[in-house]
Amino acid sequence: MSFIKRALKPVEVIIVAAKVGRVTIKYPFEEPLISPDFRGKIEIDPTKCIGCGACVNACPPNALEMIESEDKKTLRYFVGRCIFCWRCIDVCPVGAIKGTREFELATNDVLDLFDFIIHSKTRCNTCGKMTSETTRMQKFILERAPIAEVYSSKCPECRRNSLIRAVAMRKVGLYE
Amino acid sequence: MSSTKPELEKYYKLREEYGVSIYVDRDTVYITTPREKLVDIASKLFNEYQCTFRTCVGTDERPINGFFSLTHIFTDDRSCLYVLVKTYLESDDPRVPSIVSVVPGADWCEMEARDLLGIEFTGRQQYRLVLPPEWPNNVYPLRKEVPYNYRPPVRGVSERVTTTVETGVVPIGPYHPALHEPEYFELYVEGERVVDVNYRGFHVHRGIEKLGESRMTYQQVNFLAERICGICGFEHSTCYALAVEKAAKLEVPERAQFIRSIVLEVERLHSHLLLLGVAFHLLGYDTGFMHTWRIREKIMYIAELLTGSRKTYGINLIGGVRKDINEEKKLKVLETIRELEREFKSFIETALSVPQVKRRLTGTGVLPKEYAVKLSVEGPVARASGINRDARRDLPYAAYKYASFKVPVYTEGDNMSRILVRVDEIFESISIIEQLLDKIPKGPIMLDRYEIPEGRVGVQVVEAPRGGDVHFVITGRGKPYRWRVRAPTYSNIPALKVMLKDQPLADAPITIASIDPCFSCTDRILVIRSDGRREWIRLAGVGI
Repeated sequence: MSFIKRALKPVEVIIVAAKVGRVTIKYPFEEPLISPDFRGKIEIDPTKCIGCGACVNACPPNALEMIESEDKKTLRYFVGRCIFCWRCIDVCPVGAIKGTREFELATNDVLDLFDFIIHSKTRCNTCGKMTSETTRMQKFILERAPIAEVYSSKCPECRRNSLIRAVAMRKVGLYE
Repeated sequence: MSSTKPELEKYYKLREEYGVSIYVDRDTVYITTPREKLVDIASKLFNEYQCTFRTCVGTDERPINGFFSLTHIFTDDRSCLYVLVKTYLESDDPRVPSIVSVVPGADWCEMEARDLLGIEFTGRQQYRLVLPPEWPNNVYPLRKEVPYNYRPPVRGVSERVTTTVETGVVPIGPYHPALHEPEYFELYVEGERVVDVNYRGFHVHRGIEKLGESRMTYQQVNFLAERICGICGFEHSTCYALAVEKAAKLEVPERAQFIRSIVLEVERLHSHLLLLGVAFHLLGYDTGFMHTWRIREKIMYIAELLTGSRKTYGINLIGGVRKDINEEKKLKVLETIRELEREFKSFIETALSVPQVKRRLTGTGVLPKEYAVKLSVEGPVARASGINRDARRDLPYAAYKYASFKVPVYTEGDNMSRILVRVDEIFESISIIEQLLDKIPKGPIMLDRYEIPEGRVGVQVVEAPRGGDVHFVITGRGKPYRWRVRAPTYSNIPALKVMLKDQPLADAPITIASIDPCFSCTDRILVIRSDGRREWIRLAGVGI
């Protein structure tokens, strides 16, 4: 009796299969099975982004890149390189980046895979050269530290010069 | 502080015996030896002290002190110690005696150090292992003066199968339905019997170590480490994070360590279920394959729920984890794994009672214990051959010291025992997840502030589903100065030669699959655009 039972043991899988039934879902026509915590594509809010580049420094695969030109600073997001780690969301100081659950990203136009956010750079109010800061970055700093007003509108070189001048004046009373 | 521990006595003895310098820091014993004594020390550690050989690491320390260095990593699993044997080599004559004669498992890592750093090993046959034959002879990619994006002009030459008259040759790979990654086996057969095996790997050497040392920051490397392996990536990122934390002496919050352990076990579950499915598929029992993978799907959902992604979880950072487990998720996980346990238990009994599965697994691909010890094999392969070793118990990390679990050990060493070890581990993992979820303490999951000093050394072994992952880190400024990764398959592949010999050819695919090979993690390191003709690697033949 036990021999027959043992010999028929493999057949038990039929019972398992009958109980489970069909598990394959008709995917494109049904909701995909993703959990509420799924990390998908990111969305950058162009109205909030200040162009500071914190996300660019944190991004492991360089999906976020800062492209600098003479008077513009462009944040480029290329979803083709993105690993959906959401580190950029962790580090964004203004909360401009939002995570979505979107993952069906196939397209036949490569431009759909790119997002561009173009920021204009500021001009140094002393020497007139372009600084590497964006206008929004300057505004962001001034809102939090109004005391920085004197320096924030200068390029790094003029900033250094004026600091040296100020220190020198305080230490030895030297002035131009 | 720990110098009074009795298990350290024998290491202090080495000082008088060989005149080497010994320094103990927490769980790591640093031995610095002149190269003449290296073989004696290695022999003493491996044969007398029964340490496990993990890997060796070549480092270009010329920018710091003008020397190359070679570190052999041993672990003393009984006393919970890491033993690092370091040898300095003059930069104009990086020559060191090989330890292959006493530790056969060191074969590959020595040749890797020769390829990538130009360290010459005396007293053994030398060959090119990881670099393609067209690679220029005087360029050593891991030397610091070579930029990470350096690409020499390499002209591809097609590789041909060598045929001999006496024996037939059956090539498997580099692309083959039985292998899921590019790797090449050449089986020499007499009739239906395999008499010899050649292996050619490292087709997908990706330059990961160099990339981590040059382009990325500490936190970015976590995500790169996770991509070393498509199945056990989280083990790699945890291992890297733990190694850096050990080097910098960071006290990571307990809750973060618990979450790491839970996710590690979730990954072990999915990996073992994956392998069982593949094994059934290779045995022609596709029903088993379908049902195992159906059960596995629940684990994938849990992984996504806990981390945000089905694979490449991306929750590890140095100093903690990024995603917390709340009460709702905890209940969901508990409910799902209990259901899974019930379902898996009844199914696996049925599956293993299928006559073709039983007969084709039992007694095939035997790896005797003596070879397993000599070749320093890892994980389920070692445990199926009677080696009682598990880094979770022997070298406790993360939160494993809070969980009690059995380490399944079988002595037959055949394919069946390798499968059974994994089946048992699935039940243990389920119990570990339950225990840890129950005991998880409250508190933060991330360190607020920390500093990583330069020039510290951290080495960590994490028990991945396939065996011990080893990560070795020397800290640098803003990024690791040296980062060495050793995946478990790296030490398991040489054992295939022993397993396949004198077996019927038909059993070769299941035997290869039974070590749960993960070729891409074994390869790592250099981007090779064009595939060229390569020299054959003789698998470390231990007397056969």
